[in-house]
Amino acid sequence: MAISAADVRSALSIPEGNATAGPSQPKKHLPQNARKPDGISRELYSLIGPSAPSLAAQLAKPRLKQKPNFGGGTAKTRWELRPFKNGARQDNLELWHWEKVTSDPPTEYAFAKYNTQSTTYIYSQDEYTRFLDDKEWTKEETDYLFSVVQDYDSRWYIIYDRYDFPGGPTRSLEDLKDRYYSVCRKLVRNRPWAGDEASKAQLISSFQFDKEREMTRKKYIISLENRTPDQIAEEEALYIEVKRLEHNERKFKKERESLLRTLAGIDSGLPDIVEDDGTQMGISNEKTTTKGATTKKKGGQPTDVDSPATPSVASTPALKRPSTTKNAVYDATHCIIRTEPPTSGVATKAAHQPAYLRSFKLPTPKAAIAPKITQALAELGISHSRLVMPTRENTAQLEALLDATTALIETKRVMDKVEYDIQVLKNRLGMREASQAATDVEMKQENTGDAEGSNFGETGGENEDGEDGRAQSVMSARSARNRKHPRRSVSVSSVDTASTRAGVKRQKKN
Amino acid sequence: MVNYGGDEVSALVVDIGSSSVRAGYAGDDTPKAIIPTSYGYIPKLPDTDVDMSDSTQENAPQAENSRFAKIFVGQNGPSVWRSGMEIGNPIVEGLIHDFAPIKPLIDHALSKVMLINPSEHPILVTEPTWNTPANRERMAEIMFEEFNVPAFYIANTGVLNAFAAGKGSALVIDIGQSMASVTPVVDGFVLRKGLSYSPLPKLVHAHARHLLTSPTQIRRGIDLLPHQLIASKAVVDANALPQFTIREDRIAGTTQKWRNWAETREVDEWLQTIAGVLDQGWNDQQAASKPSRQYEFPTGYNTFFGAERFLVGEQYFTHNPQLVASNPNLPKTLPALITEALRACDPELRQVLMGNVVLTGGGSLFSGLADRLSAELTRTFPHTKIHAPGNPIERRYGGWLGGSILASLGTFHQLWISREEWQEHGKAIVGQRCK
Repeated sequence: MAISAADVRSALSIPEGNATAGPSQPKKHLPQNARKPDGISRELYSLIGPSAPSLAAQLAKPRLKQKPNFGGGTAKTRWELRPFKNGARQDNLELWHWEKVTSDPPTEYAFAKYNTQSTTYIYSQDEYTRFLDDKEWTKEETDYLFSVVQDYDSRWYIIYDRYDFPGGPTRSLEDLKDRYYSVCRKLVRNRPWAGDEASKAQLISSFQFDKEREMTRKKYIISLENRTPDQIAEEEALYIEVKRLEHNERKFKKERESLLRTLAGIDSGLPDIVEDDGTQMGISNEKTTTKGATTKKKGGQPTDVDSPATPSVASTPALKRPSTTKNAVYDATHCIIRTEPPTSGVATKAAHQPAYLRSFKLPTPKAAIAPKITQALAELGISHSRLVMPTRENTAQLEALLDATTALIETKRVMDKVEYDIQVLKNRLGMREASQAATDVEMKQENTGDAEGSNFGETGGENEDGEDGRAQSVMSARSARNRKHPRRSVSVSSVDTASTRAGVKRQKKN
Repeated sequence: MVNYGGDEVSALVVDIGSSSVRAGYAGDDTPKAIIPTSYGYIPKLPDTDVDMSDSTQENAPQAENSRFAKIFVGQNGPSVWRSGMEIGNPIVEGLIHDFAPIKPLIDHALSKVMLINPSEHPILVTEPTWNTPANRERMAEIMFEEFNVPAFYIANTGVLNAFAAGKGSALVIDIGQSMASVTPVVDGFVLRKGLSYSPLPKLVHAHARHLLTSPTQIRRGIDLLPHQLIASKAVVDANALPQFTIREDRIAGTTQKWRNWAETREVDEWLQTIAGVLDQGWNDQQAASKPSRQYEFPTGYNTFFGAERFLVGEQYFTHNPQLVASNPNLPKTLPALITEALRACDPELRQVLMGNVVLTGGGSLFSGLADRLSAELTRTFPHTKIHAPGNPIERRYGGWLGGSILASLGTFHQLWISREEWQEHGKAIVGQRCK
């Protein structure tokens, strides 16, 4: 612990003044060279020194917000009641309004520019007789129509409302529009045109008017309005129903997709699936295929993962085949087998069947018996987990082999169990015979029990085809119930790798 | 200033209705002068009146003014009792029928109430849609020749009401004191073919008057004596006989016309205070479930009005079958007017118009009318949108307000008919300019 001289002094109550030889002495003079801060008078600063920076900050001249200028600086804005003339007017009407007094020369009235005129077409008598003659319309009425259109700036509803040609037939809004636009079109078409053809065509198209279409449209609008409340209610009910159905459909689809995702994972062919190699897929890859490549299968049959895929369904991976050569010859030379996409299904993304590796379709033996299968195949010198040439035929054979092996092992296990049961029961029977005399009645019971037992054996065998684990357990339960009935003669040979399923059955019946 | 498109030239707006004349500066939100259209007058002696009454239109002003020995207009005009004073109203079915009192009325509003000189201000006058060309020309004549205005314009109340609501296209339902009208307005123009109107408020008024004056099981016919004729009255219980003393000195000098006008005012007062209409069509139970309300008449007689006060408002929407049978020329109800107006419009426009319904006019302040109308319209047109200003001033003076907006616009000033144009073109310019 370092103790400074000052600490010692203070502990011993030695006055500070004695320690004059400290190195701090010259430092005290140093700040005098520093500049005097603003806001403190020179006399005060020489008294207090630089040791009061906070005070100096407070003493600094307060910065006030700049005073707003209430027009005091500039000249007063003067307003004056002045007469003005409106350039949009034909006459010399002078109205008075208040204006800012400026030295600028008087300008045009600000609102005169809004007095716009739409372009109107004027035709001569000659033009009328040459192009515009119409048996439905007289020149006088056409003139009147054009004057009304100009008066009301092509506001057609108003034109129709105000149109009243004395002696003329009653015209519908469409009649008026049709006549006006057709006259304009004809005039534009037949007059010399200064600009290019495109702008002329554009102008003509702006005068396009399809009278029949307009009238049909109006008719539709009227029919829409003339719906009875019942019809409207029905329409609304139908609309709601459609919405509901759509909603249900969407919900169903979503549920289906989520189901697919859970069951088939990456194989479902659905987007947005994160491939998880460590779990399901990784394990199955280890056991079934050597190629860990991600393959996809048809989304339409998601449960196929658990059941063995039929080789005929499996298709060859079509890798980068040119889309233009789709003929059979090309396929044959390149060993391409095409599978037809399901026609019945909806063309959704979920139903899409992506390319996949055939070897990936190999069935996976059940986890419980997998080691035994491996062992059995190893006896034959076959490694099922690695197919050197996974052609279509090889895959099919391997699949058949695995299938047979599985069946064999299942049968063997059942037989082992039954054998053991028989063994136990025989022992028990021997003990019983030793204790009491056996009777004929019991022998009879034995016979019936045997018949039953063989029946169960049959059904159990049938169920095994589907690799149903449940049937197996049922059978074992049954056999446990029948345990007290001794079997007479069931001979089970040791596991014969060459034996087929049929052979097993035959043995059983014996 | 220019940003809002406004340019105020201290124009005046004059809106003449059945019940009141409104005048004020363009650009304001409320008229400065509101005076009753009804006026009191003391007729000249008949012997001088005979040859004057059929004078030609040209000499009309002088001739017609001489019809009155004295004329009383303004707030203290008809409402003040004067011996031998008759009451007149120049408006019949919304149109100016008698131009004689028009000058005194406008002059009173401008010179006496607003204290201005009309010759210094351009004036915008309103007219109902069904106004006649002769009428608007006459109005222009009065303005130019008698008030010496520098410029004049006459605008349609339907359009102005739409403008007051901030709409260029609207279906304006205007219920005034004497007329109810439905006017389709498109792009600031009235569709004249779609216009429909009827003196429906008159019928409602007549119904109310009949209801009050005819005796029922619980009360006798109500005496509608105005307070001007009552010297004193005592507080009585509800339904009890009124105890009041009549100002006998005034009875002799009271004319039948004044008495009628005063009673009309009492009925109007009752209508505006008590009467209403049910929201969802007539329903006896609903009408009975509404609380009855007490009303006291100038005589001191007071009583409670229950379901009958809603029966009155029902006249706006449905006609009693018995009444229809007895009177084939009943004014059309509001739904009938609206249907008629819409049927005359282009089918394409109907949706636009029903989305922009503007309810206006003092009569539309009738209790419950806006709600009922909304309910009626929504039943037939599900997408109806009704613009009914909550502010009574805007509702009552919508036409004036629209005129105030229009005449304060910078772009409007090219439309004024100037004195110069009037002198040059004569009456024809009115129809030409004010489309």
